[in-house]
Amino acid sequence: MTMLPATTEKKLGLVIDLDTCVGCHACVTACKGWNDQGYGVPLSDQNPYGADPSGTFLNRVHSYQVQPVDAAPQTINFPRSCLHCDDAPCVTVCPTGASYKRAEDGIVLVNEDACIGCGLCAWACPYGAREMDAAAGVMKKCTLCVDRIYNENLPEEDREPACVRTCPTGARHFGDLNDAESAVSRLVAARGGYDLMPEMGTRPTNKYLPPRKKDRPDQASLLAPLLDIKATGFAGWLDRMLGKI
Amino acid sequence: MSPLPVWYPPYGETEGYPVHALTQRPMDMYHSWGSQNAWLRQIRGKNFLYLPTKIWEGGGFAPGDYARVTSPSGEIVVPVAHMAALNENTVWTWNAIGKRKAAWALDAAAPEAVEGFLLNHLISELLPAKGDGHRYSNSDPVTGQAAWFDLKVRIARVGPRDHAEPAFPPMPRVVPQGSQR
Repeated sequence: MTMLPATTEKKLGLVIDLDTCVGCHACVTACKGWNDQGYGVPLSDQNPYGADPSGTFLNRVHSYQVQPVDAAPQTINFPRSCLHCDDAPCVTVCPTGASYKRAEDGIVLVNEDACIGCGLCAWACPYGAREMDAAAGVMKKCTLCVDRIYNENLPEEDREPACVRTCPTGARHFGDLNDAESAVSRLVAARGGYDLMPEMGTRPTNKYLPPRKKDRPDQASLLAPLLDIKATGFAGWLDRMLGKI
Repeated sequence: MSPLPVWYPPYGETEGYPVHALTQRPMDMYHSWGSQNAWLRQIRGKNFLYLPTKIWEGGGFAPGDYARVTSPSGEIVVPVAHMAALNENTVWTWNAIGKRKAAWALDAAAPEAVEGFLLNHLISELLPAKGDGHRYSNSDPVTGQAAWFDLKVRIARVGPRDHAEPAFPPMPRVVPQGSQR
């Protein structure tokens, strides 16, 4: 079985805002687009033009309909990828040492040359974050775009995971969650970022920000009093005149 | 042309067509993204007409049902699904999922070609006549066309079906069907 590092210098990870995620799948598209070329074997597809296509993705978005009894119905879009856990069960379960967590930055990776495709890590991960590539027979997972974030051949603004770089609503953030002063740590503190399924004891690095409180259907708008304003005097005359044009 | 949003009453007959039908183009299907990689299909290979609770319950709809959707310009029969977080007089779908059989190098049995559908059949090709009688094409002069927001329809349950209508025969393959890899 494979050892986890006792501590890691940094804890690089993602902070995902469930309030602003619109479920557009831009992150899914950018993730597979980038990770299909470069790090490890490609993310294969089976029967891609057929009636029942399938394939390997490192990041997926699930959309849920929520109907609270005392509030308006909501759609919650939930992006799901590896959470780069401190106590990563996918690492300790690996019989060959292929699955490992880096001491320097906490990223969980797979050494595909040592991976025998036994699937134990996918079984051990409570988040369903790992996918076995059906063509290559090795386990694929989010690398936090390790081939982007330190890549000095890329412009500096591109040295972040492809999913973060592409998100059109700014719902995905990347940084060091070990540094209390980092932008991501401050965001987590301000917005009540939380661990996914903490009861599993995995101590995930990635954090999710909960949706903000929504207006209730029976609640009057703060702007409601303004709806009744009638222009009087000169403004009223001007309003009537302009209304005729 | 003003860049500001405008409102105008829907064109043509609206009596008997009480529901607004919106289309939204899925961002993962934008042509500029991913060069039309075939794997984009796995993100969204099938579309539904989403119905709000009022129409879903009022029409006696159940999962697996299809609906007949009628506008002054045409009629389609399409798969429906319930969406609670939706205006009670509005239905919507992802546009651009439906494909003609054999288009896009797909298997003729691909869900896009069997159950997938477009609202285009419900939308007039031409705008109402101008003063001189000329009727412009009903498409965005800048972008071609992406979505319409002024379509009104009526909806009736037709029960479970296995394909959307209208259904056309496969088109001749100019590009051969895609490989199995």
